[in-house]
Amino acid sequence: MEKQIITIGLPRAMLYYRYRTLWRVFFQELGMETVVSAPTDREILERGTALAIDEACLSLKIYLGHVAALVGKCDYILAPRVSNFGRHRSFCTRFEALPDLVRNVFRGEKQKWLSYEVDEEMKRAGEEDALVELGRSLGCSAKAAKRAYKAAKKAELAEHKARVQKQEQLCRREGMKVLIAAHSYVAEDPYMGRAVTDYLKRSGVIPLRADLTDRDGALKHSRELSPTCKWELNREILGGIALRRGEVDGIILLSAFPCGPDAMVNELITRRVKGVPMLNLVLDSQSGTAGVETRLESFIDIIRFQEGKL
Amino acid sequence: MAEVKMRSVSFPQYAEYSCAFKYIVEQALGCKYVVPPALTKRTMELGTKYSPDFVCTPFKTILGSMIEALEAGADTLLMTHGLCRLGYYGELAEQILRDLGYQFDFINLSDYDMSKKKEYIRIVRRFNPKVNYARFLVQFMEGLRMVEYVDEITCEYYKNCGFDPSGGGYKRAYQDFLTAMRTAQSRADVEAGYRAAKRELQSIPLDKPQRPLRVGVVGEFYTVMDAFSNLELEQKLADMGVEVHRWMNVTNQFLRYGSGQKNLKVKIQDLCQYDMGPTSTANIWYARECAERGYDGLVHIKSAACTPEIDVMPVLQNISADYKIPVLYLTYDAQTSDVGLMTRLEAFYDMIHMRKKVL
Repeated sequence: MEKQIITIGLPRAMLYYRYRTLWRVFFQELGMETVVSAPTDREILERGTALAIDEACLSLKIYLGHVAALVGKCDYILAPRVSNFGRHRSFCTRFEALPDLVRNVFRGEKQKWLSYEVDEEMKRAGEEDALVELGRSLGCSAKAAKRAYKAAKKAELAEHKARVQKQEQLCRREGMKVLIAAHSYVAEDPYMGRAVTDYLKRSGVIPLRADLTDRDGALKHSRELSPTCKWELNREILGGIALRRGEVDGIILLSAFPCGPDAMVNELITRRVKGVPMLNLVLDSQSGTAGVETRLESFIDIIRFQEGKL
Repeated sequence: MAEVKMRSVSFPQYAEYSCAFKYIVEQALGCKYVVPPALTKRTMELGTKYSPDFVCTPFKTILGSMIEALEAGADTLLMTHGLCRLGYYGELAEQILRDLGYQFDFINLSDYDMSKKKEYIRIVRRFNPKVNYARFLVQFMEGLRMVEYVDEITCEYYKNCGFDPSGGGYKRAYQDFLTAMRTAQSRADVEAGYRAAKRELQSIPLDKPQRPLRVGVVGEFYTVMDAFSNLELEQKLADMGVEVHRWMNVTNQFLRYGSGQKNLKVKIQDLCQYDMGPTSTANIWYARECAERGYDGLVHIKSAACTPEIDVMPVLQNISADYKIPVLYLTYDAQTSDVGLMTRLEAFYDMIHMRKKVL
């Protein structure tokens, strides 16, 4: 009898944008199939909003919408607990809560969940051990899981490197450049940051991403701007700003309402990074892009005016 | 060599713990302690004015309290580390205060790796390089003892003060206890104050019905304990004639952590697999505990935009559905008014009161 292939659902939100390659390759190497929810649309946003607590951040609302879209369509849905990679390298507590959050929100559904835990500070649980353990719980041997992880991590790093190189090329191009300081899941989501990058491109501005830089270098440089910053993702952004602030014409601090870490770190950035025009843009679920575009337009005008090009 | 100037240390106002901070700073560390002025509307206005908009409310409270402490003469501010955004309070608050032009020394525990014992000695030496470590340890432990006493008496007070027929005797005894703790200078003072309070509270006969209304209070670490920040929620509930129970305090969360909280997880395995945030395990455990003990209601307190407590709410909703226990969810921000809270509390009280009669 043919063995049924296990399908794993990956919600296209939150850490998906960071780990998509790692997850896809890892599960494929183990002979499983991954199903990714469709890009965010109105319906996903509305379903997520209805499922979430009102005060939760826009990113969580979108995440829950994506989970809802996958429920019942795959054997497992992946919701990991990524807590930290060590001291001053934490994630927002929301990433600690996700596995239990989805289990409680979707309690009425007969859905099976998968999670793994990365918590190096408290439990010395690294990513590799966690994923190998996950592979074993799905019935694979430790050896196979280890091999799959190695291949997946290699693919993830290669992809990240390629994206960083693309940024370097963009950076060398002539023209006005604006650095977008945002979490990857904000910058790349069609209902959040995509409208910003699209508009910038249409206006002849080259959008650069602060978080797409060499991660080790970014971590080191982030200490110059904020020595005790707790959050890994914000450290990468801080590092990106520290590295690129001299090469860009402006910086857009882009965050989802009301992002906890960004609320504090962006305030610190506006107080410590001087001499570059800066726009603090907070996105909430809105039905149109006109409001965002007006603000971007005036920001670009200000930069051009300052540089004497208007 | 020049004489080292004695530091005037302050830590933001926090629940009823200023007495213990004062004891530890003055007795154990040999510095002067500047008790930050009581929190007022002005504190909140100052804090809100200089804070980023959607930071959690305790940051605003703490920033305002720091400004008032500096105005009161502090030259050294202490800020703690923490597992949620609290761990970043220090650096941002310092930057905001420096931008405003204040001059002070800032001891931020987030700068130190608190998993290393050596770091504690470095911190102590920053306060006072000539500190006597043996004396420090003894008096530090006495300070922690004071914290335990404060928590124990506070717990007893809110459980019973709603049933005091003597017209304020109970409240007076509690206030006298807090005054004794604030002025204590030795272990003998602490013990005497504690014993006097115990005696005093127990000597007042209570007028409590056989089955009083019992409400459990859970929530975010700062707002749930700080009476100013939660608009004296516990007192208001108690005054309606309710037994108010709260597990969350410094004693339970930190001083007894080793023996307690790790084992709390065992009982909530079916609800959550991991720690969802710094206080989630305790809150979920206690909420279920109250439900199982047949309490009449739960109040969940958090400040606006408190991420970990927002994430706990779906679990509380499930507990509420499973055990048919009403939960009042309260979010506090800098503008929350007394009247709005009172209306909601009265409605909540009426509802649990009626349920009790029917059930």
